[in-house]
Amino acid sequence: MGGQLNCYILFPSHTDGLALEKILKSEKIKYTIVPTPRELSKSCGITIMINPDYEEMVRKILNINPEIKVNGIYTIERKRRGWF
Amino acid sequence: MADYRKLWESLGMDLEKHDQLCAVLPEFYGDIYLSQENRPAGMNYYNFVVSEIHGLRVQELAEHRKKGGKVFGSFCIFVPDELIVAADAIGVGLCGGSDFWIPDGEKVLPRNICPLIKASVGAKLSGTCPYFQSADILVGETTCDGKKKAWEILGEYTPVHVMDLPQMKREKDKVHWIDELKIFKDLVEKMTGNEITEEKLKEAIKLINEKRRVLQRLYNTRKNKTLPISGKDALLITQIAFYDDPKRFIEKTSELCEELEDRIEKGVSVFEPDTPRILVTGTPMAIPNWKLHHIIETSGGAVVCEETCTGIRYFENLVKEAENIDEQIKAIADRYLSINCACFTPNEGRIEDIIRLYKEYKADGVVYYSLPFCHTYAVEYKKVKEALDKEGIPVIMIESDYSLQDVGQIKTRLEAFFEMIKISK
Repeated sequence: MGGQLNCYILFPSHTDGLALEKILKSEKIKYTIVPTPRELSKSCGITIMINPDYEEMVRKILNINPEIKVNGIYTIERKRRGWF
Repeated sequence: MADYRKLWESLGMDLEKHDQLCAVLPEFYGDIYLSQENRPAGMNYYNFVVSEIHGLRVQELAEHRKKGGKVFGSFCIFVPDELIVAADAIGVGLCGGSDFWIPDGEKVLPRNICPLIKASVGAKLSGTCPYFQSADILVGETTCDGKKKAWEILGEYTPVHVMDLPQMKREKDKVHWIDELKIFKDLVEKMTGNEITEEKLKEAIKLINEKRRVLQRLYNTRKNKTLPISGKDALLITQIAFYDDPKRFIEKTSELCEELEDRIEKGVSVFEPDTPRILVTGTPMAIPNWKLHHIIETSGGAVVCEETCTGIRYFENLVKEAENIDEQIKAIADRYLSINCACFTPNEGRIEDIIRLYKEYKADGVVYYSLPFCHTYAVEYKKVKEALDKEGIPVIMIESDYSLQDVGQIKTRLEAFFEMIKISK
């Protein structure tokens, strides 16, 4: 318990994700593209993972860029099964 | 998230079973890849490709096919991409790196055959690999007995063309391979309806050489004392090279290389300075077989190079650019027959490669990896070990399949191996 909290931004399509990625890159906000965590959606595809500290900043970016559609923003603990 | 269910349905996939496969990826990839510290930012592109592994690229293949284009699926680096690309077709590597597909493979294959073959056949039979489902034809080869016979079984489910790869490298074998390339060229032309002209083949040779060059550039960064990228990440990039769009792959990998070269200049490494540098040699690792690299890099080692088909064998040596079709095909034959696969006898070239790469990448030890029941590689270990002993190069043999049951044992053996390297350094 007490694992790392991460903020995940889910998109209806990868093009929305890549559009946000472009802005995050230019704004120098650290992000990681990750497979969508299963507990957030059953659909395979990309999600952008950020530090929860940046959530407000990203929400503002999304507000001024309404053409980028998101399916939701969630902050959860990163699950680790320990496969090895 | 994009809904690819309709697409998968149109490919005749088993959606329910496929969903079980998809369910595993986020955590598995997260544990192995996203847990790494200080990863290059350029790895985001490959995260993207993996996240969309059964999505975007499959959709691109579907769009290509809708326009009348053809998709050639293959398993081996001897299948010449140049001839496929020259006919405006797409070549993709097929599934075969997960335990998930083994039970379905074992329904039609004996148990004592290598996991790569069992998983590949299982991936097709289970209808859970969209690449198999997107391929208009599978192109096999005769690199091993197991695969040779597996094509006959796969042929009951999907069209298969087998290229007869010689097992020796005499002049008459090259003549035979040139003939095989011509037969394949005719097949590609017939299937696509597109003629492979001198001009088209010239362009294709240039493009595939470009892809090889960018992979060489990536691997060159790993020769440095400062390791700007983990072996795990480099392996992933090579695996992705097999099925990503070549132009996009070249562009994105060039961007990453710039970042890595910049890291080297700034002295940014992803490993501690005294980490033993390991050359991995042996059998290929299809996605998502990241097991050995992950164990090495969480047991105190760093993988600096792969002398495997999912490593330098895939992109070392370029095809010489030539002027007419006959010369071009001869140049393709020359390049492909320079690959030192263990299917050849004799295969001294591979031993020379291992020693050369050990020096070039400033490695401290060699991990000889073999999938179970891969006779050519398992048998060749004896000769490789003798040669490495003579050179004073430490080597350890690890034979393992895709299951995770033996991870603890392998970890213990590797930790001891790295400790020994450190002491004798």
